[in-house]
Amino acid sequence: MKKLGTKRIVFAILFALILVAGPAATRIDAAPISIGSINPLTGKLASHGREILLGIQAAVDEINAAGGLAGNRVVLHSRDDQSRPEVAVGQAEDLIVRRKVTALVGGYVDSLVGPLSQLALRHHIPYVASASLQTHLSREDNPYFFRISHLRGLSEPLCGFVTQALGARSAALFHAATPGATELAGELFRCLQEAGVTVTVVEKFRPGVPDFSPLVLKLKPSPPDVLIAATFFQDHLILARQIRELGVPIKAYIGPWGVSYPTFVQEMGKAAEDLFGLCAWKPGMALPGTEEASEAFTRWFREKYKREPTSTVMHGYTSARALLDAMARVVGAGKPLTGPEIARALRTTDLLLPMERVAFDAKGDPLYYRQTVVQIQNGALVPVYPAERAQGSWVYPMSLSIQP
Amino acid sequence: MWLQLLINTISLGSFYTLVALGFSIIFGVTHTFNLAHGELIVLSGYLAYGLTRFWETPFAFTLPLCMLAMTCLALGLLALFRRLREPYELSSLVFAFGLALVIQNLMLFFFTADYRRIPTSGPPIRLVAHTLITRNQLWLIGLSITATVCVSLMLRKTFLGKALRAVIQERETARLAGIRVEHMNRIAFAVGGALIGLAGPLLGQSAYLHPSGGMEATLIAVVITLFAGAGRIRGLLMGAWLLALLESGTTLWLGSNWRELVSAGILIALLIWKPEGLLARKKSAAEL
Repeated sequence: MKKLGTKRIVFAILFALILVAGPAATRIDAAPISIGSINPLTGKLASHGREILLGIQAAVDEINAAGGLAGNRVVLHSRDDQSRPEVAVGQAEDLIVRRKVTALVGGYVDSLVGPLSQLALRHHIPYVASASLQTHLSREDNPYFFRISHLRGLSEPLCGFVTQALGARSAALFHAATPGATELAGELFRCLQEAGVTVTVVEKFRPGVPDFSPLVLKLKPSPPDVLIAATFFQDHLILARQIRELGVPIKAYIGPWGVSYPTFVQEMGKAAEDLFGLCAWKPGMALPGTEEASEAFTRWFREKYKREPTSTVMHGYTSARALLDAMARVVGAGKPLTGPEIARALRTTDLLLPMERVAFDAKGDPLYYRQTVVQIQNGALVPVYPAERAQGSWVYPMSLSIQP
Repeated sequence: MWLQLLINTISLGSFYTLVALGFSIIFGVTHTFNLAHGELIVLSGYLAYGLTRFWETPFAFTLPLCMLAMTCLALGLLALFRRLREPYELSSLVFAFGLALVIQNLMLFFFTADYRRIPTSGPPIRLVAHTLITRNQLWLIGLSITATVCVSLMLRKTFLGKALRAVIQERETARLAGIRVEHMNRIAFAVGGALIGLAGPLLGQSAYLHPSGGMEATLIAVVITLFAGAGRIRGLLMGAWLLALLESGTTLWLGSNWRELVSAGILIALLIWKPEGLLARKKSAAEL
């Protein structure tokens, strides 16, 4: 009798455990939802690719910490494209065919994003690109490609700043021989000329050249008011330094990307002072109405990843949040989580995030993406244009007495 | 402007020389096609970066320290290269390619993917009117000429140098003449390692450091060695200056689009019409 009682108690405990742990176990084991991300984690673009991935990881961690997508854990499968398009395609095929990911997110620069957008169309898998500019990449006949950045978001504020705010009379355009940089240079050339600004020099170069001094010498006979260098972080390290060393009396140096990073300021030291860059978001500079969310994200990110979030991190985070939001709506509506359903949900996205209000047009381009002009002042990135986002006034002309 | 262009060109050429010197010596003496040459230069640059950034070592002191460290590393690598089987040239090329990937990934792990730069040593010096020379250019030109002269004198005026040249010219004949070829290999790797150690900090100061930046340096080394001919040290300096002049001149007059095209075109022409190197003499029948 006593034995039977013990057995009953043991069974009762086991039964109770199953009852209690059952739903929890079901929650953990419920088929996780897989998304894939392909970024340059090695090679020349690795520093930016890793930041994009970190932003995406942050969005996935955030949603999993909040219970996942309707109780389903989101699993992020990350792949390295080695900063090479052919590797990016191979890795994406692997993620889609073997890992059976539901959607793709991430990517840095058009040469790596472009091939993936075509792959997304072929496999009917939605792809939300984190950093892509080229206009022709998005097309109405590709309903699976979305991106959170666009060339207009850079060219419009930049052109407005040079022509209206600075009132420059002449400009020189140096740009990297990449699709996005070339198109941006073309767009700026047209816009500057329309505004009556004389474009004295336009030069295209391969990113990563070890010496810019012949190009800098071209500016010396008749220095332009403004030099716009549409190129990457590493090229600014050499070009901005050589401009100062060779004493070319330009009034402003603008790097649409690659300049507005704390690491750039750190590596350049005082030579970074007064340089202009563009930035979509940084701690302390959020879209009006999202200040609190931005502050909370910054605190959480610093605490969790022990580093400072950057504009590139936020591009990754924003793209992943847009995708996860669409997926959550599909699941919430009781529909199957298929490519066409997610793509349909993405087209109706309207999400207010610290970097931008995310909504897409018929081509998958962002409707509200717009960068802010920042200037490096006393080692800090100070937003200066447009007026509604400005937190300080700009220094113009730049000080040339500062030496690297 | 012309004087400024000349100074910049000589400085760029001097940088190319330093990058190529170590490769040329190692390739000439040991026939090792060291594709990891650039990665070793970047590694040396990171060492100098760490010394200047975290221990506040003056830039001048980082040079001998890096040279010593890279000499030791090069000798360690030689021990690995010696384990390779025939055909040695092909095996060393494949091995060095793998080695380059390993070093790249190790650097990525230890130094992250961030771009790093060693601060310059001071403001530029005004020579005349609008012509300036930077401290970094002075380092580059001075050290490049000094290294070239030292290596050249060693090869031409010392018994050791003659033995090294003999190995460069004909390895088996040198062995038959009683020269200890294995010992010459060690010396070539030691000298090459020291030159790699010298080039690294200057790369970090004149350009930037990045784990994947080594391939660029290796390509420069290969191109300059082809320009001058393997083991032709004085020719190396002239070849490097000539290549720098071509690149700078092309950028200035034709535009930067043409920079690589002109250099590549000349290199292809050289390989077809003068494969022994631009400044090398053809061997006479008697020499052969």
